[in-house]
Order: sequence, then structure tokens, then C-alpha cells
Amino acid sequence: MEHAETAGLKIVFSVWFGLLGLTALEVILAYRQLPLETMLTVLMFLSVIKAALIIAYCMHLRYEQASLFVTLIPALVFILIMMTVIFADSSRLAHMRSLVQ
Amino acid sequence: MANMPTEAHVHHHTAPTGFIRKYIFSLDHKVIGKQYYFLAVFSVFVGMILSWLVRIHLVWPDVHIWGLGAFSPTGAPGGVISPEYYLSLLTIHGTLMVFFVLTTAPQAGFGNYALPIQIGAEDMAFPTLNMLSFWVTFLALCALVSTLFVKDGPPISGWTAYPPLSAVGSAAGPGQGLGQDLWGVSIALFCVGSLLGALNFITTTIDLRCKGMTLMRMPLTCWAWLITAILSLLSFAVLFAACVLLILDRNAGTSFFLPSGLLVNGTLQNHAGGSPLLWQHLFWFFGHPEVYIAIVPGFGVISHVLSVFSRKPILGYKVIVGCLLGIGFLSFTVWGHHMFLSGMSPYSGFLFSIPTLIITIPATIVSLLWLGTVFGGRLRFTTCMMFALGFVSVFVTGGLGGMFLAQPSLDIFLHGTYFVVGHFHMVMGVAAIFGMFAGTYFWFPKMFGRMLNERLGKIHFWITFVGVYCIFMPMHFIGLEGMPRRYSSFVNELMQPLMPVHKFMTIAALITGASQFLFFINLFWSMYKGPKASENPWESTTLEWTVPSPPPFDNFGGKHPVVYHDAYEYGVVQNGKDYVMQTDPPGQPVST
Amino acid sequence: MSSSSGGPVATATHGDDIGVWGGGALPYAVPSKKLGMWLFIVSDAITFSAVIFSYGYLRLAATAWPRPFEVPSITNATVMTFVLLSSSVAMVLAVRASSIGKVSAAVGWLVATALGGVVFDILHIHEWVGLIGEGVRPFHNPWGTPMFGAAFFTMTGLHMVHVTIGVVYLLVIAVGFGRRKFSAVDVEVSGLYWHFVDLVWMFIFPLVYLLSAKTA
Repeated sequence: MEHAETAGLKIVFSVWFGLLGLTALEVILAYRQLPLETMLTVLMFLSVIKAALIIAYCMHLRYEQASLFVTLIPALVFILIMMTVIFADSSRLAHMRSLVQ
Repeated sequence: MANMPTEAHVHHHTAPTGFIRKYIFSLDHKVIGKQYYFLAVFSVFVGMILSWLVRIHLVWPDVHIWGLGAFSPTGAPGGVISPEYYLSLLTIHGTLMVFFVLTTAPQAGFGNYALPIQIGAEDMAFPTLNMLSFWVTFLALCALVSTLFVKDGPPISGWTAYPPLSAVGSAAGPGQGLGQDLWGVSIALFCVGSLLGALNFITTTIDLRCKGMTLMRMPLTCWAWLITAILSLLSFAVLFAACVLLILDRNAGTSFFLPSGLLVNGTLQNHAGGSPLLWQHLFWFFGHPEVYIAIVPGFGVISHVLSVFSRKPILGYKVIVGCLLGIGFLSFTVWGHHMFLSGMSPYSGFLFSIPTLIITIPATIVSLLWLGTVFGGRLRFTTCMMFALGFVSVFVTGGLGGMFLAQPSLDIFLHGTYFVVGHFHMVMGVAAIFGMFAGTYFWFPKMFGRMLNERLGKIHFWITFVGVYCIFMPMHFIGLEGMPRRYSSFVNELMQPLMPVHKFMTIAALITGASQFLFFINLFWSMYKGPKASENPWESTTLEWTVPSPPPFDNFGGKHPVVYHDAYEYGVVQNGKDYVMQTDPPGQPVST
Repeated sequence: MSSSSGGPVATATHGDDIGVWGGGALPYAVPSKKLGMWLFIVSDAITFSAVIFSYGYLRLAATAWPRPFEVPSITNATVMTFVLLSSSVAMVLAVRASSIGKVSAAVGWLVATALGGVVFDILHIHEWVGLIGEGVRPFHNPWGTPMFGAAFFTMTGLHMVHVTIGVVYLLVIAVGFGRRKFSAVDVEVSGLYWHFVDLVWMFIFPLVYLLSAKTA
């Protein structure tokens, strides 16, 4: 059936190397002189991929019922998206502070 | 062990023995539910006294209140409440009521008691965690109540604890020392207790329903508790983070919420880089789902009870479920309507106003479905039913005020006035409380094996119902006149013509408050001396009415109920009954 | 979590006319403890997100956010990341071993995972001590806005508390599983927690360290 033991050793080690590789990529990218917003976007994108790998393979969600995924993840993503609304005020604050300088 | 787990079970060995195991550190959801309930009763009692002090001070600011001077010599020297102490009183009033009354009894009180039985389970999914949840909440209450006794006094920043006032520490004056820290600790603990409770409720509802109890056969109370638990799971997490950051700002010198250049009482504060607006975002991101956490269990109880005492199926069961889900979802999109005047981006204001108006739609639909349920029913006017009908009345009345506040252009004038105070008291301080009363009068027979006194209950209802309108309706009008909230006195010429309204409201509050003692007397007397209750005194269809009053420790005596019917089959008379129990054999006709 | 004779067991199998959502069955086909841990993880993820979003809010609004992490700091943090990722793999192996009944192998891998957490904590505390030595405090630092230290210590501190609790939790499970007191499900549930802690670090590492790396 679909359970822990069927995520073969091969997949486990592939995921591990993938995660290490993505980490190394992040570190390399950090040392390129990219503007902050670009750097932030790229790093977050890579981190989301790493998170997805961990959730799917280490936490095993890939092999669980689809209904479990649908219950847990969209709600979490929805909350995270709603929280980004606060950044409108963050950039306003930055703008106001730059005027005062 | 199991490769494909299909079996759900809760560990229950034998009935607990010994006083401590049975009544103190009990794992039994019924005991824990009662513990939460009585925690809420204690909290509402203290909160009510605080509200009396607040209302008395508004009308008779120079009166020497007996005993208060001894209780708090700094806050109320000679028994006269100082302006700061006034704010302390309303802070603790609000915190107690919102958290320890409205977020405990409706969900953790009644939900813990009735949910497992209503879905045919032996107990909650995690009984030990359940017990832990209660004791963490109890600790939180101790921390909050202790603020009344610390040297500097309770915090003055309101239940909303806005920085900079709440974050600068004792530099801000009385109440803002240890009191505010204890408040932060109390609320953080409360968040933990709520989180643990929420995951228990969700897991129980999903995993422990008995055979035949599909989601669509669950009583609406179970749906309401489930949706409330989901809201709790997602929103208390944010409040916890906010409290941690607040405690750090106060004690570790961080500046999450404190900007630079802040002068407090003439002293420049050594902070920089933070934003008070950030607290407001975090707090209200939690705070708005919180008010739905407070009311949605009431929706469930009222939907349930109106059907039982109208002897009619609930109108639009699926629609109500959809509306509750919609309300739950939308509740995360509207928090900025508490912040229209905060200085946040006006575009955000517009963005928040739209879903705030939209959320009235499912609420209205549910209210209309309630009326449709009652219409044409063979009404049984028990006290429970009175409170349920009263709920519809006060919820609609209070909710209408929300439509005004939802519009930023109107809120510019109404924010911070008594209009807001009237609105949230009607929906939370009255409607949600009516839900709790309805729940009490409904489940008391099951919980204690005795009946509450109906005559006393009806007197209690009528005085309360008339009284709350007298207290809170005028607030809308003085709010429209511009009377500000959280002011300890009104010396302004403009406000003087409105002072008689305050006097009226205060007298109404004192009378209504006093009548609550009728309820307390009824409650405690009936627990021991009330007439014995039968298994199903209300002739209700759901599973809790198939077991003795009170139920055995494992609810169903080792049996596994099987459900064949929906939860609201009332109205068609057969075999001498006008109702079909959920567990009755299949083939009974469904009522039209 | 063995089936004892005390508890009631409601059973249903797939293919029954009522289906897995019909009551008497586990709709997600996972034991309740696992569902409970997932729900806890969702909530804790939101708590961490709120703290991280607060950091983002204040950093976006800041005028002088320092980027002080030199190569040794970044190297240290990268090694910490590698250690945590590897401990997650050890955890996967522990869960695999426990589910096929290999008790001593599972206990071994659990201890290895916990060891990874301990190494992570040690490297972390060592880094903290270094930064404190350079003058970084929650209320002050020598390089820019005082919020740098506040955000740094709060996020990494909150994470470190979770790692430490995880280490204790894993060791308790290891001992209990070894004594046949806990089941494979309990090992799996503890694994979920550990992976969650790793997952949070996947965000803290780039947002706190890499975005404050001294690149110029």
C-alpha cells in the first residue's frame, strides 16, 4: 500500500541531495550582487521548493490521501496570502521615512 | 501497525475513581466541559461587576464605592475611581469577557460536553490534551485576575492592548508595569490552551463520528464547533506571536511596535525601528476571526434549538452549513475594518470594506432561515426557546450596526464612539450570551440530571431581554451624536445633554445585572434540588438524548450507536411521536 | 496505540456504501494522532509566519538594515542547514525502520536525528555567543537599526526553542519505542514535528542570514 516504507531509499537520498543542492545554490546566489527585491523573490521561490520537497517526501504528504493535502495546505496558503496585505503599510512607512531623511 | 488505518478508537479503560481523577484532573470530556463552563461563569460574574463599576463611574464619578478603596488604594483612593483605574476596569472587563467567557463556554464548554456524544463517540480524540487545555486556560485566568492585585494595578490599554502604550513598560504610568506583562502572559497561555482545544475538536469531529453519522447528518452544533475550531487553529497562532513580540518589547528592549523619537511622560524612549501599526495588523488578524469564534457556536446552538422547539426541521440545513463556512472563510479577509482610522493605506481600507459588507450576506441568510424554521412550527415556549428567539432579535439588531461601521466614510465619524460599543455589545455581549443561556437551559438536564426551574427562567429571560435593549440600544444614538468611548468622564459642554442617557443605561445595567442572580440561583439550586430529568425531556432527535441524564462515563455504556437519520426530523407524527431519533431504525418516513 | 479490549472500535472498510466520510472510519486514513500533529504544525507554521512577516514588515520599512554576516558566519549557518537537513533524512530512515518493525535500527536513527539537533543547537549557541561578543543585543547593534538584533534573536531563538523541544521529544520517543511502550505511529508523529522544525529553518536561513550576508 502507500506508506512510509514504499518511499524507497533511492527517493530519500535523491531528495536529500536535492535539498543540499538547492541550499548550495541559495548560498551562491546570495553572493551575487543582485538587488534586494530580486534576491528576496529568488530565495523565497527556492525555499518554497525546498519546503515542498520536505512536506511531500519527508513528511510523506505525497503518499497520503489527497483529501488530507486539500484540508491542510490551501488553508495555510490562504492565511499566508492574507498576511501579505500588511506589506502595503510597510512600504508606505518606508516611503514616509525616506521623505523625512 | 495498521498499514491502512481505518479504525478509530479512543482509549477508555474503566471509570475513574478518586476525587482528584474524577473532578479535578479528569480526562472525561463531560467533566472538562463543565470545568470550562464554570470557569466562564466565574469570569462573567467578575466581568459583570467590573462593568457595573464602569457604568457607575460614568454617571456618578465622585461616589465613594464601598470596599473599592480598600481593594485598590492607588486606583480608587477613598473608593473614587481614578481615570487610569477606570481604563483598567474596562480593560479587564473586556479581556475577561471576550476571552474567558465568550471563547470558553460556547466552544470549550458546551462543545466539549456535547460534541462527542452528539457524534456518537466515547470521548474526544485526545482526552489528556483536553485536560491540559483546560488547566492551561485556568492558569491564564489566574494570571489575568492577578493583575487586579499587583501593586501597579491592571493594564489600562484596553483588551486590544495597542502600543505604544502597552509596549513602553512602566514609563507609561499606572497599570503598565507588571500588570501588562501578566496580561501578555495570560493571553499567550490562553492561545496555547485554545490551540490544543482546536486540534482536539477538529480531529474528534473528523475521526470519531460513529457509523452512519455522515457530515451532513451532524447536528448544526457540531458543524459550528468544527468551523469555530478551524478559525481558532488558524487565528490564535497569530495572536500568540503578537503577544511574544509585545512581551519582548517590554522586557528585552526590542522595538517591534515602538518607533524612534517616542516621548512618554516627557522622557525619550530608547527604542527605534518599530511600528505600532504592526501590532494592530497582527492583533486584528486574530481579532476579527475571534469575534466569529465567539458567535458561531451560538449560531449552531440557536439553529439546533429553534428546530427542536418549533417541532420542524431546520430550514436549509445545507445552506446554513455553507453560510457558516462562508462566514469562516470571509472572517480572515476583513480585519482591517477595525483599522480604518489607524493611518493604514486607504486602499487597504477600501479592500477591507468590501468583504466586510459581503459577510453580512451569509449572516442574513442564516437569520432568515431561522425565521423560516420557526414560521409555521408548533412552538414550545420553553426558556431555552425564548433565549433562542431572543438571540435572533438581538443578533439582527446588533448586526445591523455593523453595516454602518463597515463603510470607511461612515466609520470616520463612528470609530471610537459609543456606536461601536453598542454594536459589539449587542452581538457579543448579548447575542453570544443568549446563545450560552440557550445552551444552558437546553443541556442542563443532560449535564446534571435535573431540570432548571422554568418559571425563574422565564422571569430571568424577560428582564434580561428588555434590559439589554435598554442598555445597548441608546449607545447607538449617543454614538451618532459623537460620544467617544473609553472616556472616564465627559466634561465637555457638547456631551452634557447626553448624560441622562448614560444614567438610564446605568440603571438598566444594574437592574439587568441584578436579575442575572436569578439565573445563578436557578443554576446552582437546580443542580442539587431540581426535579429529576428524564433521558429526553425535550423530545429531541440527537444522540445525546439517547443516553441517561447524566450519561455514564463512556457516554454509550460500551455500545456503538449507528445513525440512520438526519438530525432534524421533526413534525410528522407516527407511533405517537412527532420526531424520529437519529438512531431509530431506518425506514421511518422523513418529515416533509 | 494497540487495540486493547477497553475502547470501542468503529470499523468501516473502503467500498462500504457509506464511504470513508460516512462515520465509523478515518476519512484521511491516518491515525488520529497524526492528524492532530498535522493540525498543530499548521498552527505553529502560522505563528512562525507571523513572526517572519513582522520581520519582513519592519525590514522593508527600515532605512538602515545592516548586512553584517561575513563568510565564516554564512559558512556556519550553511553547515547548520546541512546538519538539520541530514537529521531530517535520519528521521525518515527512523520512520521507515519503525514501520517495518526494526526497533533497534529505528532507535538508532532517532538518536542520530536528535544528535543532529544537538549539533545544530551547539553551532547556533556558538554563533550567538560570537554575535553577542561583537555587541549585538535585542535592543542594539554596532551596525544599523536596533531592530536587526531584535529580529535575529527572536526568530532564531524561537526556532532554537523548537529544536530543543524536538530533541527531548525524539529522545523520549526513542526510549519509549525501544521499550515497546510507543508504536511506529508515535515515531512517525514525532518525525512530522521534526520535519516541520527543519522546514521553518528553510525559510529562516535565507531570510535572516543570506539576505544579511556581507556581499560587498
